[in-house]
Amino acid sequence: MSYTELTVWTRGIIMDKEGRDIVNSISASARIEGKYAQAMENYVDNPDRTNCPTRKYCRVSDEVLENELTYENEHPNIVVLVEGTMVKGWDYMRGMPPGGTLVINTHYTPDYMIRFVPGPERLAQLVCVDAAKIADHKWLYYRLGELGLDRLSTEGAAERNKSIAPDIAAPLIAAVVKTTGIVKMKTIEPMIANKHAFEVALNELHIMSLNPVAV
Amino acid sequence: MSTKNTHIPEWLTVPFAGITPAPSQEKGQDLFPTGNWRSIRPVYRDKLPPCNNACGTNEKIQGYLDLVKRGKYLDAYALIKEDMPFPSVTGRVCYHPCEQACNRGKYDEAISIRAVERFLGDLGQALTSDVVKPGKPNGKKVAVVGSGPAGHSAAYQLARLGYAVTIFEKSPKAGGLNRGGIPDWVLPQNILDREIERLEQLGIEIKTGVEVGKDITWDDLKKNYDACVLAVGLTEPNSVRAEGEDKEGVLYGLSFLRDIGMGTSKVKLGARVAVIGGGNTAIDCAREALRQGAAEVTMITVEGNTKEMPASPEDLHDMVEEGVELLHGRSVTAVLGNGKVEACQLHKARFSGAINASPITVDRDAPAERFVVDNVIIAIGQHASLNWLPAEFKNERGTIKMDKFGRLGDTNFFAAGDIAQVGSGQPLMVVNAVGDGKRVAFNLDKVMRGEKLQPRTIPVDVIFDLNRMNMTYFPHFPRVQQEMLPTEKRTKTQDEVIQAFTEEQAVEEANRCFSCGTCNACDNCYLVCPEPCIARPERSNGMYKILVDYCKGCRVCIEECPTGCLEGVPELDFDTGVVRMDTAFAISPGLHGRQAQELKNLGDRPAKNI
Repeated sequence: MSYTELTVWTRGIIMDKEGRDIVNSISASARIEGKYAQAMENYVDNPDRTNCPTRKYCRVSDEVLENELTYENEHPNIVVLVEGTMVKGWDYMRGMPPGGTLVINTHYTPDYMIRFVPGPERLAQLVCVDAAKIADHKWLYYRLGELGLDRLSTEGAAERNKSIAPDIAAPLIAAVVKTTGIVKMKTIEPMIANKHAFEVALNELHIMSLNPVAV
Repeated sequence: MSTKNTHIPEWLTVPFAGITPAPSQEKGQDLFPTGNWRSIRPVYRDKLPPCNNACGTNEKIQGYLDLVKRGKYLDAYALIKEDMPFPSVTGRVCYHPCEQACNRGKYDEAISIRAVERFLGDLGQALTSDVVKPGKPNGKKVAVVGSGPAGHSAAYQLARLGYAVTIFEKSPKAGGLNRGGIPDWVLPQNILDREIERLEQLGIEIKTGVEVGKDITWDDLKKNYDACVLAVGLTEPNSVRAEGEDKEGVLYGLSFLRDIGMGTSKVKLGARVAVIGGGNTAIDCAREALRQGAAEVTMITVEGNTKEMPASPEDLHDMVEEGVELLHGRSVTAVLGNGKVEACQLHKARFSGAINASPITVDRDAPAERFVVDNVIIAIGQHASLNWLPAEFKNERGTIKMDKFGRLGDTNFFAAGDIAQVGSGQPLMVVNAVGDGKRVAFNLDKVMRGEKLQPRTIPVDVIFDLNRMNMTYFPHFPRVQQEMLPTEKRTKTQDEVIQAFTEEQAVEEANRCFSCGTCNACDNCYLVCPEPCIARPERSNGMYKILVDYCKGCRVCIEECPTGCLEGVPELDFDTGVVRMDTAFAISPGLHGRQAQELKNLGDRPAKNI
């Protein structure tokens, strides 16, 4: 029996769609593979505030999800930080069982980032990927038309661009899938809009192996 | 629906989803830091303003303009005195590289920095005692040879460091080039006298009429003093190497000015005078010649036009206004006359290289011109006279052999000023000599204290780009012009041509300063911050602080900083500022897990009668 929780920490509005794309695409792929999966957003964080910390959740299991009515992942096996600075901000490692994976979007190396991680002994691997550079992302509002209206606090409702992971989500999905194998690469790859960034990221991951847990 | 008499289970008494405790409640304070919203942290980082960078002695120009703006004249004077011993002199004679570099020059007109400096210098002159005090005596004796700008500056700084300084001056009066090279209508003698007096008040002994090599030797200096600064300047005039240069009526620029300055001049100029040379000294000579009774003064330069002349454009403008004629692209090849000058022979000429220190190419094939004159004043620069110097410290170019710190070998002898800077590409101006004197004094102090001399390695960030500041805060405003003596009055007197600023004018001019890249406590960041994240115990540079627990990194202060002092630094570059904030809605681990347990049990319970 396998049960995996994935929590994505992202920034309200400006990176809301990125976080949503990660959990939605992974849970959809899992369902295609015949697993039980669930993805949801956290509304209690008030994600309509620009830059505020927002969480997105995903659960993948071989069996029926017992806790499908709980809206928070208590024991995330995988944590993704869509914006690197969040590493200093929250206790995103809370509840992580030993053997977890932390994926950070940053141009810094894992050697540098490990100092900010609370309780790194629980990690099996720390993965840094410069997703913003790989996807040529500009942290600015002038690409609104291109990226969709979700930057206007509609949380996807008025999105013009319906594609999944057109931007920095693609390298992050690649990092999660490659390092954890939560879903199969061939299931998720057709969904990704920014295929170039997805493929480039597969070869540009900075992985730091820490404390693997014997299966 | 009423909640009256509702039983609140224990697990709901702590804050939970949707309820945020007030800051007054327990744990409420933990929830409110917003610093973890930030990816960019604003940092106050003062850059170097271009004026400060361009100044030969790196005066803190932005600093004193800011103080003048606030009416703190004495503080401003004290600040300027850190780098400049005689602001009243440079406020009159400086070629103001600071104004050329001023960023305001790209916007409307450069700030009249020199005039403000003069205002402060005159203020200092009026004080009964100077703000600068000698340092605690350290028992070491230093000799300074020469009392010109470099010697004056070195002696001043050394006295402030606690050395017992003795200055040796060849002339009967101290002052060097300030005394002998600058006419009275630019720098009145009494101003310089007062500055020399200030120097003596610092405990410096000035011995005039003592010439190195004649009255005092190298060995005397070595024996009697712990260290020595050689700031003898360039004393020997360069020759034009023309035939008949030794005829009566041929004068050399600096000695012509020096004799007038010392009051020992016996020169009687004829009606027509030619000044050879295109620099500042040549301009001073031409204007002085008018005041000495010459009717027609012509300046003959090798430079093809006024732009190429190594002179201050303002002085050039004033000179032309006073009626001096210019003749470009000519070189004197012979001085004609029977014992006394009657005419010059001129040939077309140009510099063979790109700079005007390069050899001159004279077109000998072109027909010679005869230029009728009664006197010729040659002002084409000077060279050093180093007969007294041991041969081991001379190099093949006739200058002093020294390292980049101004030190002569392993000795405690240092060289400063023109004698050290000649050939370095640095313009040989008063302010550069002052700066050199200052640096040499600090180097000497290090050597005396047994420290190692090291070149400065700190990278300097100078603001040259107006886009690094917020120009919306600066309305266009014209430069306050210094009043000038009317042209017709000028040639008859030795009165100062350029008039001083009044207090109001100085403040108005200082108000125009952008304060490029340096916090001038304008309080803008404090006012624009949407959160109360900026604290300042006092309104002053260096007292502003960002409260990093609460700064969200919205960049408003960075964008709105008028001077460009605030900059955004990636938060991850800092090891500090970690705010492990629990999210507002689950402050303790497992809270929602317990809620989940309740939810699981819902099915087993009978529906509540609400």
